[in-house]
Amino acid sequence: MKFECGDLERALAVPELMQEARDHLKNCPACRSELRLWNEISSAAGALHEDWASPELWPRIKSAIAAEPRPRPVWWSDWKVWALAASIIVAAGLLFWLNRAPGTFGPEQAANRDFLTERALQDVEKNEAAYTQAIDRLYQLAQPRLQNARSPLAVNSREKLILLDSAISDVRTNVQQNRFNASLQMELAALYREKERTLQELVTNDRKN
Amino acid sequence: MVWEIGLPQTFAASVPDQPSEDQLIEDCKRGNIRAYERLYEIHAARMKSIAFHMLGDRSDAEDAVQETFLKVYRSVAGFGGQSSLGTWMYRILLNTCYDQGRKKQRLAEGPVSADIPSRSNVPLKIALDRALSRLNERQRTVFLLFEVEGLKHSEIATILEAPEGTCRSWLFEAKRELKRMLMESRS
Repeated sequence: MKFECGDLERALAVPELMQEARDHLKNCPACRSELRLWNEISSAAGALHEDWASPELWPRIKSAIAAEPRPRPVWWSDWKVWALAASIIVAAGLLFWLNRAPGTFGPEQAANRDFLTERALQDVEKNEAAYTQAIDRLYQLAQPRLQNARSPLAVNSREKLILLDSAISDVRTNVQQNRFNASLQMELAALYREKERTLQELVTNDRKN
Repeated sequence: MVWEIGLPQTFAASVPDQPSEDQLIEDCKRGNIRAYERLYEIHAARMKSIAFHMLGDRSDAEDAVQETFLKVYRSVAGFGGQSSLGTWMYRILLNTCYDQGRKKQRLAEGPVSADIPSRSNVPLKIALDRALSRLNERQRTVFLLFEVEGLKHSEIATILEAPEGTCRSWLFEAKRELKRMLMESRS
């Protein structure tokens, strides 16, 4: 490659080209001047550093800082600290809840609460038993008609009651495994109501006929 | 112990028994005014010079340095140590200068709007100073930080949040532009 004046800038950017540039510079005063200026820019640049005394500046800054509200402590902005603190609070709360010793904090309230829960459940179960007995009595009244079912309504009701009894049996099994499950209790009650309604329809229809 | 990061060797050598950078950061986060005074002792001269070249006025430069220290004080709690405290401060300083410059519309015009004098009758320093004011903001900043204030390429890249190679390229462009302007003024 023949090195020309226009190549000097490229050589300044690519050191590998400098050897060829040097050969050219020997015979080119214009490029020598350009290279000299290039180097002078760097050496003169250091002299551009501007330095002057500012005896009032630090006191000004100090006063301005002093007038600022104090920065929040380091831990304030650290999310890890907050996460740890939250974990500790949750863990402490759980421990407290699990290990409430009788006689230290509200043992009577705790006992009362458990008692109320248990008593409420017992009420439900008691009412359910009474309700079941009432439905059984209704069933006995409907029994003759069901046994001699001929009409489409009676046949339909008998099949429906078989399905309802099967569903009631399943739900009761689940309830026995989880006595405190309110959803299952409600489902059971709904099935009983449907059975009651079906039997009443059957008995009422029988009396009309 | 001597500050290791982001400091001119002359400063580091002349300030014995300094706390480590980490200790200095912690002290700043605690609002220890002595830590800020240390920061000032180490960085203020360079900060003033940079701000002067950005704003073209000593008083404005001092205001920018003061504003930078206040910003550091307000936000040091969130400083995570991704860079050195020094480079972080210079970044804040540059942004402060850009903001002040825009407010006064000095950056758009350049700190000094006079023509570059012929080199035959003025020292190169003055011609260079005036040519520097004609560079675009990015080229002027890189030239100032590297050639005038002596920061390393890696530090400049951190301050400007740009790849080091890109910063080197900007510096080359700046020097080429300065050379062109100085050659024109000479002819």
